[in-house]
Amino acid sequence: MNGAHELTILSMIMTAVLLLVPILVFFYLKMGIIKNLLISTVRMTIQLLLIGFFLEFLFKLNHWAVNLAWFMVMITVAMFATIKNSQLQVKHFARPVLISFVLSNLFIVIYFNFFIVRLNYIFDAKYLIAIGGMVLGNSLRANVVGLGDFYKMVKRDEQLYYYRLSLGAGRFEALMPFIQRSFKAAINPTLANMSTMGIVSLPGMMTGQILGGSVPLEAIKYQLAIMVAIIAATVISIGLSILLTVGSSFDKYGRMKTDILVKKQN
Amino acid sequence: MIQFDKVCKHFSQDFILNNFCYEVAKGDKVLITGRSGIGKTTLFRLILGFETPDSGTISFDNEVINEKTVWNVRRKIAYVGQETTIGQGKVENFFKETLSLKSNIPIKSTALHNVDELFALFYLTKDMLQKNIEDLSGGERQRVAIINAILLQRKVFLLDEFTSALDSELKNIVATYFFNQPEYTVMAISHDTLNLECCKNVRHLKLDSL
Repeated sequence: MNGAHELTILSMIMTAVLLLVPILVFFYLKMGIIKNLLISTVRMTIQLLLIGFFLEFLFKLNHWAVNLAWFMVMITVAMFATIKNSQLQVKHFARPVLISFVLSNLFIVIYFNFFIVRLNYIFDAKYLIAIGGMVLGNSLRANVVGLGDFYKMVKRDEQLYYYRLSLGAGRFEALMPFIQRSFKAAINPTLANMSTMGIVSLPGMMTGQILGGSVPLEAIKYQLAIMVAIIAATVISIGLSILLTVGSSFDKYGRMKTDILVKKQN
Repeated sequence: MIQFDKVCKHFSQDFILNNFCYEVAKGDKVLITGRSGIGKTTLFRLILGFETPDSGTISFDNEVINEKTVWNVRRKIAYVGQETTIGQGKVENFFKETLSLKSNIPIKSTALHNVDELFALFYLTKDMLQKNIEDLSGGERQRVAIINAILLQRKVFLLDEFTSALDSELKNIVATYFFNQPEYTVMAISHDTLNLECCKNVRHLKLDSL
């Protein structure tokens, strides 16, 4: 009962056959996304293959410096993806968001490995990269909503922001409702996910552990810990991202600078 | 009190203000009129530092408004905007939240004393305090914004289309309220025909095409 049942070449061929279902549906509906589907599938296959070889090498070597370096690469990619997907100016946001991601994710992963899992070797490749990846992926999603929408909301609801300044608010006070809204928008999907967890969906991590041979109760403990870690990382990273970018995004009159958001091209 | 000195301001190609000079003394009541887009609101936005002049200066209390002084200016002026986006949640909490801003803390304990009086004056019932701002009508929201401005106990008022959503009786009640307080300095923008017989002191400023 150790490890998941091995997938053979035939298994992978059967996987490809399953891909015919969406292709046929898209063909029948005359939707021009078959090409996108194929490109995405090929991209995914190549990326996963490469990462598979790479991770195998990484896990064998298991050197803390290499592990950390790879985690930094993951964080940097996540940072660029966040900024690009939230239509913020890369030039303006790259550095502060990178700092925010490094601090929040590294802190959470180290806390997780040291205090929760109690590893002797906290930079262990398996834990650093697998746990780190889950936390980071969620930071990415949350920051696209939290940070991106924050600046878009301030721009869209400029009148409310100015009104609060006129009431005598400092810049931070005037931004308060926007900060609250942005946290809410970022956290809500995670909360909804948590409240149906186990009934509607067995989370990926639990599935993986159960297939990998863990007993369900062990998998559940990990799942609880990872969910709390994700929420903590989300809150820290959004808070830091906003805190580190607000100072340079507004002028001394308290007005939002005009070159913060990428102009939409029509 | 408020002084425009050779102020120029233009947006893209259009000059909104060209060498504009004007002075408002303490206790003055100024009613600003002029066609849409002529720059009436821009005057207010310049005073509050939401816009900056291309050239020239604006002063408040004999101090030029700049990035340092503007924060203090915003704390001395009560502003009622044209848009009624004032926030969300219960009206009562909206008043309390305004008073919880750091710079308003000193008046927090006394500010709400005359809420009942103001509600009655502007024909609002007390149960309005428990309603959500989002559920109010335009006219109700406008009066809530006006009351919020009065509660701040400031002496200078910038009122932008402050009676636009009110019926004619209320328009006059609100206008008269501001124009008849001797200690108030008021600049008001309005397209409404207000009955100002009782307020002979009101000066008119008509902005024309430049």
